Amino acid sequence: MIVDAGFVALPIALLVCVYVSVASLIGAWQRLPSLVLSARYGLMTVPILLLISTLALVSAFVSHDFSVRYVVENSSLALPSIYTWVALYAGNAGSLLFIATIFGLISVVAVVGLARKLPYTAPYATGVMAIVLTFFVGIIVFLANPLERLPVPALDGQGINPLLIHFGMFIHPPVQMMGLISVAIPFSIAMGALLAGRGGRDEWVDQGRFWGMVSWLILTTGLLLGSWWAYTILGWGGYWAWDPVENSALMPWLAMTAFVHSIMVQKRRRMFRSWNIILVAVAFTLAEMGMFINRGGPVPSVHSFAQSTMGWLFLGFMGLTLVASLVAFAWRLDTLKSEGRLDSILSRESAFLTQNVLFLAVAFITLWGTIYPVFSKAASDVVVTVGQPFFDRVNGPILLFIVFLMGVGPLMPWRRANPRIVAKILAYPMVGAAITVVILWVLGVRHPVAVLAIGVCVISVVGIGHEWVRGVLSRHHKGESYILAFGRLLAANRPRYGGYVVHLGISMLALGAIGSSFYDVQRDFNMGIGQTESLGRYSFTYTELLEKSLPDREEQTARFQVSQDGRRIGTMDAKRTFYLDHRVAATRAAIRSTPIEDFYIVPSEFNSDGRAVFRVYVNPMVWWMWLAGAFFIAGTVFALWPRLHTQDKQVPKLRNHVSSIQK
Amino acid sequence: MLVFKLMKTPLYILLVCGLLSVLSAVACTVQKIPSHEIQAQEINKTLMCPVCPGESIDQSQHPLASQMRGVVDEKLEEGWNGEQVRNFFVERYGVRVLLEPPRRGGNLLVWIVPPIGIVMGMLVLYMVLRMMTRPQPEGELRASRVDLTGPERETYFSLVEQALLEDVPPPDQSSENSSTEPEE
Repeated sequence: MIVDAGFVALPIALLVCVYVSVASLIGAWQRLPSLVLSARYGLMTVPILLLISTLALVSAFVSHDFSVRYVVENSSLALPSIYTWVALYAGNAGSLLFIATIFGLISVVAVVGLARKLPYTAPYATGVMAIVLTFFVGIIVFLANPLERLPVPALDGQGINPLLIHFGMFIHPPVQMMGLISVAIPFSIAMGALLAGRGGRDEWVDQGRFWGMVSWLILTTGLLLGSWWAYTILGWGGYWAWDPVENSALMPWLAMTAFVHSIMVQKRRRMFRSWNIILVAVAFTLAEMGMFINRGGPVPSVHSFAQSTMGWLFLGFMGLTLVASLVAFAWRLDTLKSEGRLDSILSRESAFLTQNVLFLAVAFITLWGTIYPVFSKAASDVVVTVGQPFFDRVNGPILLFIVFLMGVGPLMPWRRANPRIVAKILAYPMVGAAITVVILWVLGVRHPVAVLAIGVCVISVVGIGHEWVRGVLSRHHKGESYILAFGRLLAANRPRYGGYVVHLGISMLALGAIGSSFYDVQRDFNMGIGQTESLGRYSFTYTELLEKSLPDREEQTARFQVSQDGRRIGTMDAKRTFYLDHRVAATRAAIRSTPIEDFYIVPSEFNSDGRAVFRVYVNPMVWWMWLAGAFFIAGTVFALWPRLHTQDKQVPKLRNHVSSIQK
Repeated sequence: MLVFKLMKTPLYILLVCGLLSVLSAVACTVQKIPSHEIQAQEINKTLMCPVCPGESIDQSQHPLASQMRGVVDEKLEEGWNGEQVRNFFVERYGVRVLLEPPRRGGNLLVWIVPPIGIVMGMLVLYMVLRMMTRPQPEGELRASRVDLTGPERETYFSLVEQALLEDVPPPDQSSENSSTEPEE
C-alpha cells in the first residue's frame, strides 16, 4: 500500500518540479510576486513527496517486499536487517531517489533563507534548483524507478555486493552523494544573482559563501570517510589510489576549495565577481561529472557498483549546465564589473588568486589523467592506464606548493604588502622549517622530498601559530589575560580563525600523507599457528584461528599476540569473511593506530591447517589524517557560526564616536 | 600558564619544530627492510593487476597479482632491472599493465599537457594580475566624473531615492566592518 503511495508520489513530484522551474523563472522575469510565491510553496512540497517515496522504499526493504524489483536486486532474506537501510542507496535507482530527496530538503532550507535575505535573487535561484530537481526526478520516473513492481513477486532477493556490508556504508555513500549534490546550492545562488542582474552587487556573497562552505564540509567529510573505509576494509594498507571515482569526487572538492577562498576576496574587497561565478559553475559541472562517472561512466573503476547507461544522460546534463551558465554569464557580463582594483601583485588578493589557479590546475590535471585512457582508446585503439604513480608525480608537487601557500598567504596583508614586511613575516616560518630540516637530517630522515615536504608543513603550522601568538600578545598588552585574549581573538574574526583551524587540519593531513607514502613498510609473512615474526618495532605471534559458519558467510579470524619493543601491547584480530552466494571474500584488517604509526595486519586465504599469508604494514602518521577530519569540522562550524548579537554593542558605540568627531 | 609565557619568545617555534620533527623522525626511521624487497615493491606499485582495473599488483589480493609479484621477485633475483621486468609484463599484457603510461610515442601527450597547462595558467594569472594592478589612465577617471546641471541633479537624486526605497535594506555592513582584525 505504502509502496503504491510512494510510486504515485514520484510523477506528482516531477510535475511540481516542472511547474516550480517554469513559474519561478517567469515570475521572477515578469515580476509577478504571486507566481513567485506559488513556486516557492510548490518547491516545499517536493521533499515531502520524495520523502513519501523514500519511506515507501525503506518499508519495502524492511518488510522484504520482493514484489518490488529494486528490493529483489538489492537485498535478500539473509541480509542482516540493519543493512536493509543501506540497501536503499546500494543501487542506481535508490541512490538517485536518495540524492533527489536530500537535495529537495536542502534546497527548501536554502530557499527559505534566500527569500528573506535576497528577495530579487531568490526566485531565479529557486528556478535553477527546481531544474536540477526536475532532472533527477525525471530520470527516476522514466528510467530508474526504484518502486517499480515485478510482474511476479520473487521468493528471495539477490542480495547486495558484500563489500558494501560494512559500517562505513552507513556514512560514506550518503555523505558523498550529499556533498556532490549540495554543490548545486551555491551554484543556484550564484546563477540566481547573475540572472537577476545582481551579480555585481555582492549581496549574494554571504549566502553563497555560507552554502559553499557547507557543501565543502560535506564533500570533505565524504572524502575522508571514503578513505577511512578503504583503509580499514579494502585491506591494501592505503587510503587513496587516484581511482577514477575517487578522482571524480576530488575534483568538485578542489573547485569548491578554490571557491570558498575567492568568495572571501569578493566579500572583503568587492573583487573577482565574474571569477567567483565561473568557479562555482565549474564546481557544479565537476560535481555532475562525479555523479556521471559513478553511474557507469566510461572509465573502469573499483567503485562502479552501479552500472548503467544513464551515465550518458548525466553527461548531457553536465554539458547543458556548462553551456547555460556560460550563456547566462555572457548575457549578464555587464553587471559584473569589479569595483576594487588590485593595488599590488604582492598582496593577499593575489595569493588567493594564485591558490585558485593551483587548485584548478590540480582539478584539471586529475580530470585529464582520468579521461586520458578514453581519449587514447578512441584515438589510437591503445588501452592505457593512468594510475597512482602518474598522479603522485604530477599532482604531488602542486599540492605541496599549495600547502606552502596556505602557510604564507594568510600572513600577507590585504591590498599592498611591503617586501620588507613580507620578509619579516616569513622569517619565523622559514627559520622553523630550517630547524626542522636540520633536526630531521640529524635524526636520520634523509629522503630529500620527504624532508622538504615536512619542512613545508612546518612553514604552514608555524605561520598560523605565529598569527595566533601575535594576536594574543597584542591583546595581552592591552590588559587582557592570555585565555581571555585567545578567546576574544578567535571570536573577533570567526571566518579567519575558523579557516586557520581548517588549515592546521590540512597540515596534519599532509603530514600523514607524507609519512605514510614515503616511509610505509610492508611485508608478506607466510605463517602457521604458533609462529612468531617481527617487522620494525613490532613482533607478533599468530596464536589461534577462530572459525564461524553462518548461513550466508564463513568468517575466519586470526588472533595475534603483539608486542612492541619487547613490551606486550595486546591481541589483534584480522578477519576474512567469505560470502557463499557471491563467492566474494572481504577482509577486515587488524589495525593498531597511534600518533606515531599504524600497525596493520591483513589476512589472505587460509589453508585448512590455518596457515595463511599475512600482509603486515607499518604506516607512519596515518592517525593524523583522521584527526584532521575533526579539525575540518570544528574549523568550518566555527567559521560559519552566527555572530552573537552581544558583540554588536560596539557598533552603536563606534557610530556615536564617529558622529561626535564629525561635530 | 607556562604555555603562554613561552609564547613571549620565539622559543615556542623551536618547541613546535622540535616536537614535529622528532615525531616524524621516530615514525619514519625505524624500519629496516632489505633493499631488494624495496626494489620489488617499487616495481609492484607501477604494475596493474590485469583483472582488477586500477589496482596495482602491490595492492591487489587477487591470486594473479600475487603470482605476478612472485615473477617480479624471480626476475630481480636473476639480475633483471626494473625496466626489463616492466617490459616483460608489457609484452604479455599490453601497455595497459603499466600504471603510468610510458613517456614516449603518443603517450607523451599525457605527460606534457599538465606542465604546459600549469605554465599557461601561471602566465595568464600573471597577466591578469598585471592588468588589475595597472592604474586607471587619467582621462578615463575624468570621463567617469559627470557634471550635472541643477534639474539633472534633482532627477538623479530622486531616482536614487526611489531605488533605495524599492531596494532591499543593505546587508548589515556595519557589523562586518566592526570585526576589526588585530593588525600591528
